[in-house]
Amino acid sequence: MSDHTMEETVLRLERLIPAPPEVLFAFWTEPAKLLTWWGPDGYEASVHSLDTEPGGRWRITLRRSGSGVRAVSGVYRIVEPPRRLAFTWAWEDESGTRGQETEVTVTFEATPGGTRLVLVQQRFESKQACDNHIVGWSSSFDRLTKTAR
Amino acid sequence: MPAVHALQLDNVFAALADQTRRAIVERLLAEGELNVGDVAAPFAVTPSAISRHLQVLELAGLIERRIERQWRFVRVRADALAPVESWLSRQRRNWAGALDRLESAVAAQTPRRQKS
Repeated sequence: MSDHTMEETVLRLERLIPAPPEVLFAFWTEPAKLLTWWGPDGYEASVHSLDTEPGGRWRITLRRSGSGVRAVSGVYRIVEPPRRLAFTWAWEDESGTRGQETEVTVTFEATPGGTRLVLVQQRFESKQACDNHIVGWSSSFDRLTKTAR
Repeated sequence: MPAVHALQLDNVFAALADQTRRAIVERLLAEGELNVGDVAAPFAVTPSAISRHLQVLELAGLIERRIERQWRFVRVRADALAPVESWLSRQRRNWAGALDRLESAVAAQTPRRQKS
C-alpha cells in the first residue's frame, strides 16, 4: 500500500472518444441519448427528471426483471455546455431515502481526434464540507494511504 | 452496499471532513504513536474538545488506542482506509462499464467524418 496515491482515494477515469464535445455533452444531458448508455446490461433505465441547469434535479431509475427498481438521483451543480458538468449523486433505498452523497464532475476537452472525457467522483459530508475540505482531504488521504500500514 | 460498510464509510468521510481532526490524523501519521496528552499540544482547543475529536476518529476506525500503565496512547490504524478503497473500486467498475457503453452509443450515432 506504500505506493498508493491520491488517485486511489478520488475516483478519476479518463477516455478519449472520437466525437466532438458538443455531441458527447448531449449524451449526458438529453434523456433519449442518456438512456442509450446509462443502464448496465440487463437493466431498463428510465429518466424521471433531468433538469440540466444549475440547481436542477435529476433522477433515473433502473429496473431489472425479477428484481426491484433502484433509483439514483441528485442535483446539478455546474452545467457549462459543452465543457463541464457537475452533479451530486446518491442511490435511494426502497423507501426513497437517499444514501451516501457524492459529487461527480465530468469535463469534456476538445482534442484533435475528438474529446478527452474526464470523470471525477468523490465523497463529501455536505456541500460546505466539500467546498472547504476537498483539498485538505486529498492531501490527508494522500499521506494516509502512503503511511497507514 | 451492505449497510455496515455504508455506515463505516460515512463515518470515515465525516471524520475527515473536519480540519482539526484531519490535522490530528496528519500529526499522528508524522509522529507515529502519541501520548493522548501530547496530541492536543499544537491545537488551540480544550483537552475535552480534543478528546471528542479522538472519539470520532476512533469510531470511524481511523485511530486506535493503547494503554500502558498510566499512559494512554493513540495511533493511526493500519487498515484505516479500507472502506474508502473498496468503495472506490466498486465505483470505478460501474463507471468504466458506463463509459464503455457511452463510447459505443456515440460511435453508433456519430457519422465518421474522417472516412468520407
